[in-house]
Amino acid sequence: MRTLNFAKRNFKEITRDPLSLIFAVILPLFLLFIFQQFNIPNESYNLENFTPGIVIFGFSFITLFTAMLISKDRTTSLLIRLAISPMTPKDYILGYMLSIIPIILIQNILFFILAICLGLSFSINIIWAILVSIIIAILFICIGIIIGSISSEKASSGISSIIVQLVCFTSGMYFPKETLGDVFGKICEYLPFESSLTILKGIMSNNLNSIKTRNVIIFVIYTVTALVISIAVFRKKMISDNK
Amino acid sequence: MLAIEAKNLTKKYKEKTAVNSINLKINQGELFALLGTNGAGKTTTIKMLSTLILPTDGEIKINELDIVKDRQKVKEILNVSTQETAIAPNLSVKENLEFMAGVYQIPNRQEKINELIKMFNLYEVLNQKAKTLSGGWQRKVSIAISLINDAEILFLDEPTLGLDVIARKELWSVIKNLKGKITIILTTHYMEEAESLSDRIGIMAKGNLIAVGTAKELIKQAGSETFEDAFVKIATGGEI
Repeated sequence: MRTLNFAKRNFKEITRDPLSLIFAVILPLFLLFIFQQFNIPNESYNLENFTPGIVIFGFSFITLFTAMLISKDRTTSLLIRLAISPMTPKDYILGYMLSIIPIILIQNILFFILAICLGLSFSINIIWAILVSIIIAILFICIGIIIGSISSEKASSGISSIIVQLVCFTSGMYFPKETLGDVFGKICEYLPFESSLTILKGIMSNNLNSIKTRNVIIFVIYTVTALVISIAVFRKKMISDNK
Repeated sequence: MLAIEAKNLTKKYKEKTAVNSINLKINQGELFALLGTNGAGKTTTIKMLSTLILPTDGEIKINELDIVKDRQKVKEILNVSTQETAIAPNLSVKENLEFMAGVYQIPNRQEKINELIKMFNLYEVLNQKAKTLSGGWQRKVSIAISLINDAEILFLDEPTLGLDVIARKELWSVIKNLKGKITIILTTHYMEEAESLSDRIGIMAKGNLIAVGTAKELIKQAGSETFEDAFVKIATGGEI
């Protein structure tokens, strides 16, 4: 109950910031719409490929909100009050995660509705993709918790924008990694964003063979590591902030 | 029965000793003021007593519960109003109260919220987002929130800092109403506040608890005319 209570409050805090909604929903929707108007002769911009790319791109803003929310909570002393309360670290981490899930669902539903309006064929795989994207979002939420725990309110938005850029350049949403040369291609392979996008594309197109074991291993390693680090860093910062 | 018992309470940060082996006994229902100059160790002491940080050494019992072993139980029976306003900025005043009632799982939630709205006269700002309130209102809301769980022990860390005279007097009236019903530990830089509100006063200097007594006892101990003079004499060791 405490977790849900905290999640409800976090959801209100995020959604009451109009910039959050503009960046998380309207900007990706605009990009999805505008890139379909140009008929770019590149497979990355086909709706089947670009829609999951937009989903992952939208998640990079989830990192931004999570980071800003936590860094703001730390500056307002609200976390001191909560640290004295009977809330446990589990309540905090789950509370932050649960508050983001409705936003992810809203994002994805709107992205897919627009994609269908633009010509994407509806299939049950879209529902599967939305469900799997919630798991993928955990990675982005955890990165946000880490950034928000270690940086100030101002710095957190700057650091999070690096994640936004990394997603753009290394996920393969705008151009395939093969076109970027060997070194940059390898960097893309070892970062989690390309693997996240490959998994989502594979589920959406019901082409599970396109998902390599490497993609799953890299995604799982990054997500588990980010989860463990986010819990440890958040706990450590809560204690050190209060010294 | 003792509400708080601290034995040899110590907090060290590397080489610096913020609180140096203090012993403190506070009775249930007592209003105890902790005074000291900046950096005397008041806030660190409050943070240890309120479970926020662990002592480097010594032990603390809150209503006979050990603060380390029975940490979760202790958290249920105390609350704190921090020096800085601790409220959720994008929530309205009412939502802030509801949120904290949820944190403490208050059974008669609406009844308690209504009681606090009345006590702090929050009607006019009830639906206003906390971040749009003036500093004085934010502090009032922050203090109201600290009463949400009917805490048996309440820590007020400089509660009237930044409040205008009227708001300060209003808050004094609230604190006076709570006197005897719950145990209150108050830190303040306003001497008249400590003198007027508290049953006993502790004076800290350089991490040590150097004097404890009623305002009258401390005036007598220092051989001063006023409580402010007594505080200055005791806190500085008679240097000023």
